[in-house]
Amino acid sequence: MFVYTNEAHPGEHVPHHDTWERKLANARLLRDEIGIRRPILVDDLTGTVHRAFGGMPNMTWVFDRGGLVIYKANWTSAANVEGFLERYRAGRESGSQRVAMSRYETEQIEFRRADPARFQRALERNGPRAVTEFDNARAIWERRGQ
Amino acid sequence: MDADDALTSERYNYPHFDDYIAAGGELADEARFRESFRIGTHATTFPLHRLNDGERIDLAALWTSKPLVMEFGSFT
Repeated sequence: MFVYTNEAHPGEHVPHHDTWERKLANARLLRDEIGIRRPILVDDLTGTVHRAFGGMPNMTWVFDRGGLVIYKANWTSAANVEGFLERYRAGRESGSQRVAMSRYETEQIEFRRADPARFQRALERNGPRAVTEFDNARAIWERRGQ
Repeated sequence: MDADDALTSERYNYPHFDDYIAAGGELADEARFRESFRIGTHATTFPLHRLNDGERIDLAALWTSKPLVMEFGSFT
């Protein structure tokens, strides 16, 4: 499922959320424009749920039954999530097989394929201010050496 | 109450991305992400609203019987 958050790059066409009604309206706009078919959930105006899980703009979490955290990524890679789910299911269901499996935990750095052209189109969709402010942010990152 | 508990809707729903970056907002988010629920622990349940019908849903109801994939996002 998909949790709609604050607008990461607000602009003239898709403004920041100043009211609950605005947040819901932007969530519906996103659902209808992008064609999201998964259930969309929305938390409160101050992002209580989003912030509790870290507040990153496009993160993915996976929970096993009972809310056991089995995967957390500060950015979403569908391929990485799918690969993880395959491995996790195979490991968990291996009890009846001859090969013994032991559970372990890992943290690692991954790489994902970026799509700058698509991101630029999304900024432009939000409005000229979103484009300008991202350029300004890029200058800040360059000054910081990021 | 820590500083995060006092986060207002104005700060969370920042109107200007460059101001958010200048204030180190994304660095704070990265740190919060690392410190939030750890792998191998159980997350807390929270109430959310289902967009299509406005029904309140608890996360716990979604991870009761099968694994749950939860992606966060907005237009960008």
